[in-house]
Amino acid sequence: MTIAFLVVTATATAQDITSTMSADQAAQVVRIAVPFPELRPIGAAATAPVNSEEVRQGFFGPLTRDIAYSGIMAIAPVPPSVPVTSELLKSIQAQFHLQLNVWTEGQEYVVEAWLVDQSGAAQLKKRYRAPATALSRTAHMLANEIVKTLNGRPSVFLSQIAYASNRSGNWEIWLMDWDGANQRKITNHGVLSILPSWSPDNERMVYTSFARGTSDMYIISRRGGERTRVNSRLSLNTSATFSPVSNDIAFVGSVSGNPDIYLIKDDSSNVRRLTTTGSIESTPEWSPTGRQISFTSGRSGTPQIYVMDAEGTNVRRISHDGTWNDDATWAPDGERVAYTSRVNGRFQIRIANLITGESRIVAGEGSNEQPTWSPDGQWIAFQSNRNGRWQVYRMRTDGRDLLQLTFEGENKGPDWSKKPE
Amino acid sequence: MKKMSKIAVAGLAALAILVLPACKTNRKKIDPVVTPPVQETTAPEVAAPPVSTDTEVQEPDDFVRETTPPEDVRPTEIEALNRWAQERGHVRDAYFTYDEATLDGAAQDALQSSATWLKGEGSGYNVLLEGHCDERGTEQYNLALGDRRANTAKDYLVTLGINSGRIRTVSYGEERPFDEGHDDSAWAKNRRAHIVLVQAR
Repeated sequence: MTIAFLVVTATATAQDITSTMSADQAAQVVRIAVPFPELRPIGAAATAPVNSEEVRQGFFGPLTRDIAYSGIMAIAPVPPSVPVTSELLKSIQAQFHLQLNVWTEGQEYVVEAWLVDQSGAAQLKKRYRAPATALSRTAHMLANEIVKTLNGRPSVFLSQIAYASNRSGNWEIWLMDWDGANQRKITNHGVLSILPSWSPDNERMVYTSFARGTSDMYIISRRGGERTRVNSRLSLNTSATFSPVSNDIAFVGSVSGNPDIYLIKDDSSNVRRLTTTGSIESTPEWSPTGRQISFTSGRSGTPQIYVMDAEGTNVRRISHDGTWNDDATWAPDGERVAYTSRVNGRFQIRIANLITGESRIVAGEGSNEQPTWSPDGQWIAFQSNRNGRWQVYRMRTDGRDLLQLTFEGENKGPDWSKKPE
Repeated sequence: MKKMSKIAVAGLAALAILVLPACKTNRKKIDPVVTPPVQETTAPEVAAPPVSTDTEVQEPDDFVRETTPPEDVRPTEIEALNRWAQERGHVRDAYFTYDEATLDGAAQDALQSSATWLKGEGSGYNVLLEGHCDERGTEQYNLALGDRRANTAKDYLVTLGINSGRIRTVSYGEERPFDEGHDDSAWAKNRRAHIVLVQAR
């Protein structure tokens, strides 16, 4: 399925890719001409034949999709077989021309990119060397440089999404690029491993695994390899999440069937209990400053979302609609929280503004759960069963530009990396 | 002793018949209890998988997949024992209503008959109580809810005289449904505290 998807989308030309934009956004976007790369060095003959389909699927497709989804750029269609000149750029109302040259040297691709404005001045010059398997990474790196050049801020194109997948026969922790490419298995427990959560430096993940027969927390590098168990000496050990500012991990621990929110250091020391009610507490999530923690509690009779200070004080309820709310997660701005909210018998993603108190549903088919914000706050990844089985999707925070990211087996519990680069 | 246990079983069966019709989901679990006692006494303690004529019991393949015996036991034997004990009704799972972790009459009855067996014929085994939830909740809250269900069942077994040191708990939340269906019948089966017998160390 994944392969078919990649073929279909990658063979689309740049002109075919459009991102729906509001009128405000459309007025602000930079139009950029992106013809298919010349498959040779500038002003020289190709030294070896270049597989144009590999360049299209591995590089040009991801690059043009990133540009189209950037929110700050739109692709200006270029007539075929016409040299891109300043006059042409003006006639198609393009402010920039991205001149691309791609060729091979030995086992590697060389990618050269010039971002040229209407006056002919190069605003960005980049050269990359990469094996064929890293062409899409090259595309994301180049697209990120273009966004930084135009916007002064990094994009989300280099961010990663962690999730759980059962496609290997067991639930394991997997990673993928922001566009669903490069899906790869990180853990190899051979049992039930779920609920990955990124460290603030994008280097590690903490997750829950039943490797010892009961549920425990483990930390693993994003490159895989050795895992470390975080030993709380409590039961449950689920929903673990790194503090954005310290080496604390918030998690759900349980003593005698009373699940509460606890903190623990990532070296298994200094366990602290934050909630003390007899009701069920679950699903802690740090605010971006690390000063507050949201969580789910059944203290009112149904699961609802609450926020407390990171010391466990000053608890207040923030969800008021729906009979089952869970999975709260903070936007990078610290003002908005997305969570899963049961509406008319189905779960939907709800985004609440903590300052105004207003909330709205981002409507979708099926049940939609476990939202996670992109590091720039523009996108939300989540799981949906709208096509029968749990898969991970991505959409803008207002529901536009929906894209299914996973197709093999079942996939759930996405967590978007915290830093853009 | 055997006579007494037969009487106890017959009494529990009668009780089950009185109590259980209120709980639709438990009907399938009644049948093993009312099978003739002679079958029960002749069954070997650690039986080879009995050939069951009861078409309503769970598929064996399902059951094997759901149990996770610890590494220090011989899996084929303990799995067969668990299947046998469930089919005979020696141990019976406790079922819950939606978003609830309290034991209703039927659930208490199931745990009472389980405790009776665990104190008698099954006194050589320890218990792993698995808390399970249906899919109509959220994954993370359901893990916590499953923990409470498993511990509610554990606490009741302890009040019935089972040593708490014999019982461990684990929550699977909605991760390992017994019935993969998406209707009331499937959901009812998936909200349970599931008793797994493990070899005492």
